[in-house]
Amino acid sequence: MAAGALSRDVEAGGLAAWVRARPLVVGAVAVAALLLTLVLGVGLGSVRVAPAETFAVIFSRLFGIDIGVTVSPATDVIVWDLRLPRVLTAMLIGCALAVAGATFQGLLRNPLADPYVLGTASGAAVGAAIAVLLPVQLVVVEFGLLHGLAFVGALASAWLVFRLGGTGGAGGLTRLLLTGYAVGSVLAAVLTMAMYVSGVELRQIFSFLLGGLGGSSWVRLVVAAPLIIGSSVLIMARGRSLDGMLLGDAAAGHLGIDVSRERGVLLALASMATAAAVAISGLIGFVGLVVPHVVRLLVGPAAHRVLPISAIAGAALLSAADLGARLVGDVPVGVVMALLGAPFFLFLLHRSRSGYEL
Amino acid sequence: MSLTDRRRGVALLVVLLAAIVGGCSSGGASSSPAPSVAPSPSAAASEAAASPSPSPTPAFPVTITDDEGTSVELAAEPKKIVSLTPATTEILFQLGAGDRVVATDDGSDYPQQATALPHVATFSSVDVEKVVALEPDLVVAGGLGFTPAESITKLRDLKVPVVVIYAPSVEGVLKDIELLGTATGTSADAESLTTAMRADMDAVASAVASQSPKPRVFYDVGYDDTTGAIYAPADDSFLAEMVTMAGGDVITTGDPNTYEIPLEKLIEKDPQLIILGTNPFYSPTPDAVAKRRGWDAFTAVRNGDIRPVNDIEITRPGPRLPVGLRTLASAIWPDVTLPAAS
Repeated sequence: MAAGALSRDVEAGGLAAWVRARPLVVGAVAVAALLLTLVLGVGLGSVRVAPAETFAVIFSRLFGIDIGVTVSPATDVIVWDLRLPRVLTAMLIGCALAVAGATFQGLLRNPLADPYVLGTASGAAVGAAIAVLLPVQLVVVEFGLLHGLAFVGALASAWLVFRLGGTGGAGGLTRLLLTGYAVGSVLAAVLTMAMYVSGVELRQIFSFLLGGLGGSSWVRLVVAAPLIIGSSVLIMARGRSLDGMLLGDAAAGHLGIDVSRERGVLLALASMATAAAVAISGLIGFVGLVVPHVVRLLVGPAAHRVLPISAIAGAALLSAADLGARLVGDVPVGVVMALLGAPFFLFLLHRSRSGYEL
Repeated sequence: MSLTDRRRGVALLVVLLAAIVGGCSSGGASSSPAPSVAPSPSAAASEAAASPSPSPTPAFPVTITDDEGTSVELAAEPKKIVSLTPATTEILFQLGAGDRVVATDDGSDYPQQATALPHVATFSSVDVEKVVALEPDLVVAGGLGFTPAESITKLRDLKVPVVVIYAPSVEGVLKDIELLGTATGTSADAESLTTAMRADMDAVASAVASQSPKPRVFYDVGYDDTTGAIYAPADDSFLAEMVTMAGGDVITTGDPNTYEIPLEKLIEKDPQLIILGTNPFYSPTPDAVAKRRGWDAFTAVRNGDIRPVNDIEITRPGPRLPVGLRTLASAIWPDVTLPAAS
């Protein structure tokens, strides 16, 4: 649909402009896609559950209404305890990564920035690896040491990069990016060493690196949701600062934006969303890098459009990819997403010959 | 981005480790090496139990402690069992509980009847949704990361009883068989099975015990043709114990948990005999083994003493261990006549 609009635009020259002038249409399509993945995600899985049974479970659990369909306890568990929290978690994580990605790309004025650009991924992975290697089994309300240390590791590495890289000056952005790369490299070395000595625990570390939503549960969802939704909303509220900084630090300063303070706050918020997402689902790539670009291609670079639409589109993309991953036997979700998403992205990029800037 | 590149390298390592842990189906837990099977302290008692007398006390409800120390309560005799490892599938069928097994993992290839059952797990993951849909009253999972810890937690959160089994030693396998006997209401069968297994393995072990000098045996667990990485039994592994029992002077990696051994170290240890553990995923010919770079330094290669064996019977911690031990003992001591199987 969106792709079709763009392709015709190359000849007509009007449709992209038409879409661009109507971000609400793009938003509505994204919401529709989100609802569709919600319905399909809960309705489909490796076990066949009749739609009537699915509705019966949801109505009785949500509203206490018995719609007259008998449901086995196993079906009830599958729909309510396995599928629904998993679909909602996928949406939450997709939202977090897309918003964080859009924020980092805008802040760093770098199209290759993704949620992990400040070393968050390596930090989280080292945290998870340490948790796996420690001979301690600690579980507090469904959160193990792995989740805790991954969260702490992600935030700690982002903080370290920010402290070392600084934010000010014209060369500041490059410095921040390179600091992120350097810290990430050190952490990656630590991670490799941890994996080398991990023996039979290697698989647990490896599955964290691949990322996935198999560990979703209501409790984890409820704990992560405020962090992710909270930081996403706060980022969106700072859309004007993001727009200003896209013009360059000096221009932003002339617009009355306290550049170094705003940059610090936005980096902190985006890192928080990323850390919460990573702690729950491991390292899921692609969505945070590509969704903001697709949205910018469609509605232009204004943050007040890019951020909310990215949030919705990221949620829809990750839950759709997770559904695909589940249906083909629980393969890593990142694989499905990149295989299906990257060609679509290439297509959009190819069609928008008019040029594309952040 | 750098992470992605490294992941690729690591993936290879994982695949290799997977092949090893999967092939052994037991992994290498640290345990005190017990070179021979301890004679059953209650041999007389178990012989009495072997005669078909009904168990004196009602067997259920029962609370058992699994190999990870988790207490699992079973209210009644399980009627629908899901087995997530090849070894536990074999044990369950051998105990006569096979007709109650409703699903297995995709590696469960023995006995024949088990292969017809639906698969709810692969080496890398468990389809929790499918398991739940079967409404099992007992799930038998593998420890040491064989069944992902995440899946075990999830099933337990959903009130599905999960018993985690892993055997760090031959004695541990026998204990596991008895544990599964208690869990499935087949204790009497389990006890007579383990008694027979003990007797059989002791007979084989003592037949070769007096042989000397013991050859330095390298059990080839795996080899990476690209990197030249060599995999051998870890010091504390189940496999090292089997080779020792079969009358070999086992060459191990020198670390309780590491399965990789550097070529230089192996040359220094100079194997006199290479036992080639073959399975569906790893089946090089002795000729190919002899041609590996640097391997002509081994006495075993120069003398052509490379003997393939069925790795599954030797390394799968289940009821076929006595068969595996026989295979191993006759590979190491081809001229010794082993006592007939009981």
